[in-house]
Amino acid sequence: MTVAAAVEARGLRRQFPLDGGGTVTALDDVDLHIAPGEIVAVVGRSGAGKSTLLNLIGAIDRGYEGELTVFGQELRRLSERELARFRNRQIGFVFQSFNLLPGLTVGDNVMLPASFGADMPDVLVRRRAHHLLDEVGLGDRFNQPPLQLSGGERQRVAIARALLLEPPLLVCDEPTGSLDTATADQILQLFREIREKRGTTLVMVTHDPAVARSADRLVRLERGRIVGTTLEAP
Amino acid sequence: MKLRRLVQLTLQNLRTSRVRTLLAMVGIVVGTALLMFFLGLGQGLRERVLNRIFPVNQLELEPRSVQLFGTQQVVGQAPLDDSRIKQLAQLPGVVRAFGKRKSAFPARLWGGRELLGYNLFTEAFFDGMPVEILRGELEAFEKGDGTSAAAKRPLRCDVDLDCPVGAACQDAICQRVVWSQHWRESPVLALPCGKNDDCQSGTCADGHCQSAQAPPLVRCLLEKSAGNGRDLEFDAERGLTARACDAAGGWCKTAVPCPERMYCAADHPDTTLGYCEEPLPAVINPLLLEVFNTDMARSLGAVPVGSLAVLYGVRFHVAFGDSFFTQDAARPMQQYKQAQVVGFSRKAPELGVALPLPVVQHWNHRLRGDDPRGPYDAVLLETADNEAVPQVFTAAESLGFSLSRKSQAARTAGAVIFFTALGLVLLALVVLAVAGVQIAQTFAMLVHERRREIAVLRAIGATGSDVAVLILGEAALLGLLGGIAGVTLAWLGALGVDAAAQHWLAKVPFLPEGFFVFPTWSAPLAMAVSLVCCVLGAAVPARRASRLDPARVLAEA
Ligand SMILES: Nc1ncnc2c1ncn2[C@@H]1O[C@H](COP(=O)(O)OP(=O)(O)OP(=O)(O)O)[C@@H](O)[C@H]1O
Ligand SMILES: [Mg+2]
Repeated sequence: MTVAAAVEARGLRRQFPLDGGGTVTALDDVDLHIAPGEIVAVVGRSGAGKSTLLNLIGAIDRGYEGELTVFGQELRRLSERELARFRNRQIGFVFQSFNLLPGLTVGDNVMLPASFGADMPDVLVRRRAHHLLDEVGLGDRFNQPPLQLSGGERQRVAIARALLLEPPLLVCDEPTGSLDTATADQILQLFREIREKRGTTLVMVTHDPAVARSADRLVRLERGRIVGTTLEAP
Repeated sequence: MKLRRLVQLTLQNLRTSRVRTLLAMVGIVVGTALLMFFLGLGQGLRERVLNRIFPVNQLELEPRSVQLFGTQQVVGQAPLDDSRIKQLAQLPGVVRAFGKRKSAFPARLWGGRELLGYNLFTEAFFDGMPVEILRGELEAFEKGDGTSAAAKRPLRCDVDLDCPVGAACQDAICQRVVWSQHWRESPVLALPCGKNDDCQSGTCADGHCQSAQAPPLVRCLLEKSAGNGRDLEFDAERGLTARACDAAGGWCKTAVPCPERMYCAADHPDTTLGYCEEPLPAVINPLLLEVFNTDMARSLGAVPVGSLAVLYGVRFHVAFGDSFFTQDAARPMQQYKQAQVVGFSRKAPELGVALPLPVVQHWNHRLRGDDPRGPYDAVLLETADNEAVPQVFTAAESLGFSLSRKSQAARTAGAVIFFTALGLVLLALVVLAVAGVQIAQTFAMLVHERRREIAVLRAIGATGSDVAVLILGEAALLGLLGGIAGVTLAWLGALGVDAAAQHWLAKVPFLPEGFFVFPTWSAPLAMAVSLVCCVLGAAVPARRASRLDPARVLAEA
């Protein structure tokens, strides 16, 4: 199946109820088109709604109004179970704080997505995990606990984990937010390689102008709305 | 989710929060151990102690009596004869029914010199018991007694007293005696009779009852007649067999004594002529020993008797027709016989002796003129199992019977043990419930701590129910481990208690080899209960975990 858009949002709106009553509108009237293979950086001030947008695209939040299709799939229509499977197969998450499970080895962390829903034979999973770790330059760390790795290395493990089931879309919330510039550059380089090799679509939130500039396209959010496609606020 | 992955994730979770989960398990382990311990103790007390003291599948019933002018009277009922016993035997749940007869003749008994150094004299009361109903109990009691009597190395001996407790002198060597084998309906015995007397089996000839099957009895002669019996000596009573030596019915000694285990029982106290007989097999109530030790020994200045086992084989004299209290029978109607303790039963009268039923029936007939086939005083029922007892009892009650005092005591003891064990098991379940709450708290905390991990798993593709399964699996594993630990602990505890009991309570009568019987189902049950407690305890936290909103959790930096 070929789809024209990786992500297609029209009139996308996300409101959260407030504890004291009333609502806060985190996203309002967002129209967004992301083509397959595109690398898009989402920028904006804190509280602008960047993470909210990412969670919607990444299918862990579907309490939205308006339209949102990811690879042609209207997310709101999916059941809880289908949504989990969708995340498992179509989406890879990379977080600012890496979010590796400290009790598992590096290899087990990478193989984790295969534990849910995927019916891939264990040998294959293992081989692929090794291959991915090689690819991110950590082939020799398979049996180490993640706590022994540096920040950059951990983020690379997280990326390997996100890629295990070859999802067509990577969703990254400040992937370089905890890394120094040099390490951040390596990660960006890795992203580009991934895109070259697999045609993976990448949506990432970032505060770092250098990272933002490396993207194909820029989306600037302000108070829940898209206000431009440039680095500087209009 | 794949099982292997589930186990792996669960183990890693357990590993990372090791101390906390271990603490959470303490309650479960203790609760399971208590449950198992009390199940084993309850069952053990029932099987090892209660069933041995009171065989619980048996009851003793009496015709229901009423108070009339200050005495207990049975009114308005058919006599308790064989036909009524048959009626009871046919009640559903009843395996066998036997009549029991109390002695109604004057008698006294004396003995104990071998044990105490002097003889005790007392009026004697007998219960005539059908031998079959006591046999199993006597065998079990003797087997469970545990006195390893026969020495490893053969001991030479002349008389039984040369041998250790539980052994007797046979062929000049001490040998283990199975006393319960001597509890027989028809030992070698001459029951004296007149020509109008009713011999229950056989006919009256030569002044004693003879049955066609039994081999003829051997005449014997004693050195001197018994007189008032005070000076009778067991050793001197062996007697010499006699042969008819003149046509007028005179008897002459041979050089051959009465056979092994037999003695010469004179026909009446004023003659030296008798028959070679076995001692009467006597069963006494173990309570007698306790009464003797606690109440009598001190005032008599006697040494308490250490254990029932030393009483096996002890002989004493019985004078039939001779009484301290009431009119004696005519001297020629009296007879002195030997009796020998062959077993212990709570069915025996507390202050008296159980003899085989035909013996009591015979003397009741001879000295009181009672019909030997006349009504019984009580009936002993054997039920298919312990559970049948209440139902049988209800049925028997409608037929006009009530529980004898002794059976009532047995039922009470059974109920006490049952309800005590039940109470303790309930206590263990309460402990387990509290432990379940503890588990719930721990898991609530763990879920809170791991919410970020849980959110990550959700983002990676876990469903809410995957998360719940993960948590419940962890709880189940805890429950299983706790169960195994608890069962092991209970088992070790039981071993410890048994060892301590053997060490400290060695002298207590009825002490079983162990207080614990763990039914095969008890360990799986205890583990299942432990598992269920843990899983139930973790249910609410697991539900909460499955509903965590990953987007929200991930937003918390
Ligand atoms: N689950 C929620 N419940 C209530 N309000 C929320 C929730 N998630 C986000 N918000 C609100 O929505 C708005 C946008 O939040 P969001 O996390 O998307 O901002 P952000 O652009 O990612 O900021 P930052 O750069 O600090 O991460 C904020 O005002 C926030 O308070
Ligand atoms: Mg954010």
